[in-house]
Amino acid sequence: MNVGLEHYLLVSAALFSLGLLGVIMRRNLLVIYMSLELMLNAANLALVAFSRFNNNLDGQVMVFFIITVAAAEVSVGLALIVALYRKRASAHVEDLTTMKL
Amino acid sequence: MNAALMILEIAVLVLGIALLLLDLWTPPARKRLLGYGAAVALVVVLAYSFKLTGETGFAFGQAYAFDGLALFFKRFFLLAAILVLVMAAEFSDRIASGISEFYSLILFALAGMMFAASANSFPMLFVSLELITVTFYVLTSFQRNRLASLEAGVKYLILGALSSAFLVYGIALVYGASGTMDFAELAGKSAALKDQPLFLLGLLLVLAGLGFKIAAFPFQIWAPDVYQGSPAPATAFLAVGSKAAGFVLLLRLFNTVGLDVTWHWEKLLMVMAAVTILYGNLCAIPQRNLKRLLGYSSIAHAGYLLLGVAAMSPAGSTAVLYYLAGYLFTVLAAFSVLAIIIRKTDIEDVSGLAGLNQRSPLLAATLTLAMVSLAGVPPLAGFFGKFLLLKSVVEQGGSYYAYYWLAAVALAGVVISFWYYFGVIRAIYWSKDPADLSPIEVSLPARICLYACIAGMLFLGLFPNRLVENARAAVLPPPPAKIAEKTAVAVASPASIK
Repeated sequence: MNVGLEHYLLVSAALFSLGLLGVIMRRNLLVIYMSLELMLNAANLALVAFSRFNNNLDGQVMVFFIITVAAAEVSVGLALIVALYRKRASAHVEDLTTMKL
Repeated sequence: MNAALMILEIAVLVLGIALLLLDLWTPPARKRLLGYGAAVALVVVLAYSFKLTGETGFAFGQAYAFDGLALFFKRFFLLAAILVLVMAAEFSDRIASGISEFYSLILFALAGMMFAASANSFPMLFVSLELITVTFYVLTSFQRNRLASLEAGVKYLILGALSSAFLVYGIALVYGASGTMDFAELAGKSAALKDQPLFLLGLLLVLAGLGFKIAAFPFQIWAPDVYQGSPAPATAFLAVGSKAAGFVLLLRLFNTVGLDVTWHWEKLLMVMAAVTILYGNLCAIPQRNLKRLLGYSSIAHAGYLLLGVAAMSPAGSTAVLYYLAGYLFTVLAAFSVLAIIIRKTDIEDVSGLAGLNQRSPLLAATLTLAMVSLAGVPPLAGFFGKFLLLKSVVEQGGSYYAYYWLAAVALAGVVISFWYYFGVIRAIYWSKDPADLSPIEVSLPARICLYACIAGMLFLGLFPNRLVENARAAVLPPPPAKIAEKTAVAVASPASIK
């Protein structure tokens, strides 16, 4: 069978939805963070596919930017989660309740 | 490429790195001076920016645009960063370690904002927004020994990363539909693409990503917690800089590039503006924590600013620029006062303001003026900004009656907001039996900043013409051929599509 643009986009949309579902349903900060990375990679897949089928390289260049920025974001994010874990001994969202109305 | 156009950003980045190096040779007792030094250096950069007036051009192909709008916002961000740096230096006792890194991070975030002001393509938009957001993850959680600060950082991290995921996916879809990342090319294609669902969904997701930055409904969930938990200078920069960066991108993307699409989104933008105003103002009423109260108030102000975007006319954009300028002085005045009070007493509650007029008349007067300006009472900047925004909305009422309702909702929001702003003023002057009446001393640099904020609020309120003229010129940039034709269409069209 011939793999066309729509197949890539379906996989990308599925990844994005799974990631979003993970962010909403999971309770552990690390797993939420993994799901967020999944969403970014879904966008990367879509960009590469569009780039291939649009016959221009802008999309692939954008993917490099996204990967780089995501790496920076992860390093800051994990450091933050570790700092929180040291203070709170927990990485669960239910425990983030210091500030409430 | 044209590196000379980026001289302001390069200067800021070099200053940030130099500050990190200088930190190595500075004894701990003198590190506060680095903050004042950085502020003075930024004043020089700001002064230099006036030499660039009237210049236009592009760098990195068309990705980086230098025009009136960009320059207006670059000056805006520089001014905000100067005041925030002095505030941070005042606040440095409350930051356990790494105060020099705090200053440099403010400068890096500033560089991101200045790049965002010039962003003219999606990669530039994305990278500059992320430079701001990732820096703010660190700034918000900078008080590592305070649980509230860490919690604010983690909440901002999760929701910020979620919004960048939406933004990136939206960019992918827009790129897929149009085949270009460039705003200039996109502007030419958007008319043909305005009925394509993929393109519209993409722009909607980009709007969601930017909506998070400006804390507009329904992406405002993070704002109160993050505002409350972060160190006061970080909150202040978040409230002014990050929000304005969102608005400059919104104006560029939706009021010039995607204009053909946005005309059909007037209802969406109007509902967003109206709900944001009501949500912010209604939720602010029961708040007792001052930073949280200002968090909800900043949501309400995002709503007022959205009025100007929803009006989709040059008058609306002018009003947004003017309002942001007034908002800068007002919010930074309020947060400077809070930072000084929190540094002295560690109380963030409204009740902590009791007897402030005896402890420090200057702080009491500044906070009162800031609240009055936020509420929008005549002689101050906040009033004239709201007036311009409402005027731009009512002008559109002739083409579509719902604009009148939008103006009515905004007025109702203003009336509601009197309640909590004047609650703060009452706490300053008419509290019963204040517990502590020891005077709060204000250092000279902080006093200069407070006077500058007061002067800004009064000047913009009493003599608005000059800035309105500047803002109008910035919204309608000089290269006349293409852009003038575009705005001429923008003025004519809301009537013609009805």
